[in-house]
Amino acid sequence: MGIRVKVKINLSFNTIFQWIIILLIFSIMAAVGNWIGFHSPLQEAFIGMLILCAISVIGLLIERIVPFNVPSILYISILALIIALPWSPISQPIIYYTSKIDIISLTTILLAYAGIGMGKDLKDFKKVGLRGVLVTFFVILGTYISSAFIAQAVLASSGLI
Amino acid sequence: MPVKTKYNSEVEDLSEACKDYKLHITVFISIILAQFIGIRTINISGISIVLMPLLYSLIFAIAFYLIKPIKWISKKQSDRSTAIMMLLIGPLLAKLAIASGENIGIIFNAGAAILLQEVGNLGTIFFALPVALLLGFKREAIGMTSSICREPQMGVVIDKFGFASPETKGFFSVFLIGTVLGTPFISLLVSLLAYIIPLHPFAYGMACGIGSASMNAAAVSSLSAIYPQFTVQLEAFSGMANLISMVTGMYVYIFVALPLTEKLYSILEPISNKILNRNVHLDGDTSQSEN
Repeated sequence: MGIRVKVKINLSFNTIFQWIIILLIFSIMAAVGNWIGFHSPLQEAFIGMLILCAISVIGLLIERIVPFNVPSILYISILALIIALPWSPISQPIIYYTSKIDIISLTTILLAYAGIGMGKDLKDFKKVGLRGVLVTFFVILGTYISSAFIAQAVLASSGLI
Repeated sequence: MPVKTKYNSEVEDLSEACKDYKLHITVFISIILAQFIGIRTINISGISIVLMPLLYSLIFAIAFYLIKPIKWISKKQSDRSTAIMMLLIGPLLAKLAIASGENIGIIFNAGAAILLQEVGNLGTIFFALPVALLLGFKREAIGMTSSICREPQMGVVIDKFGFASPETKGFFSVFLIGTVLGTPFISLLVSLLAYIIPLHPFAYGMACGIGSASMNAAAVSSLSAIYPQFTVQLEAFSGMANLISMVTGMYVYIFVALPLTEKLYSILEPISNKILNRNVHLDGDTSQSEN
């Protein structure tokens, strides 16, 4: 099974169109979610979402065009980081509008899709059982707490906190 | 088989997923309900646990799937949701990375801490491997506990051990559980730990960047709910830490994490065998020695 052989999508306008539609739906949901949960102005939150989605689409496009086997999430992160740097000419509006989006509203939507996506895997979960769940929790706990202790030690020793 | 779903469904289902307005409306209802409930803090004997909207929207969505009268959410929608999720990770990461770019100054100051705390990602091996072995897992434990089991490590495990190997199976059970339960779990864990072990919020902020976009976002939003005055710094630190985790993840995994796990496994496996066998003798319980 060629798992690692990622299916190369024909970069048709159709695919890009589908990305845009889904991201638009996501933007509307996020703007409304922000408005209800965090009282951000609907319009500004929506513009903020459009910025985040545009960065994502560009990242996805670079992944498909560039021949390296690098996942789009890296392109997206690096691109977003660069345009928000203080010496970027567009950093001011980007930071202003995206600050209207609370990250909680995004994870809330993600987890709603995750919940429905999980539905079909409920049987698999039963098979792995509680033991698997327990190990997963320790994996996350171990990663998080060890990193936190090291960060604390380094920050304290360099006098930053 | 989650891998297959991950890579193929994106192609097959995206056009269907776009049009599935009933799915989107159902999700929309879940998030509106979740946002109306909002962030709640409950007190359990002095420890405050922050409950996030993401937790409720997850529960609502699972309920919508399970409740029989709702016929328009079934296996098909489940597949489509998985495809959509992959796309939604992008804006999430963009949001975190913008915080990093905006605060590049503080990040440079704290650079050493951010880089070194990545070593902490190896902590999973020491915490989880003994637990996995005591629960009766064998070679699966190596796949399960050598990393946070996200995409950067996926290719390595399959490449090194083969798709049908116990290591890969173990990896995918944690991958699957982590995808769905990891996010609500870390959001509760973060608020709990902030009270039990009061490290500096910045240290916890960096630790949130564990190399998984959704877990990172959930963790950092819980942390920001506790320390709202530091929201910007926390997002900046965790975004940067997460970016470094993702970039270095594969290499650290190949050259450090896997060899370390193998080594520790060879030491701990005989010990856990002894413990488990003694238990089997005492209780006559053989269920634990299941492979």
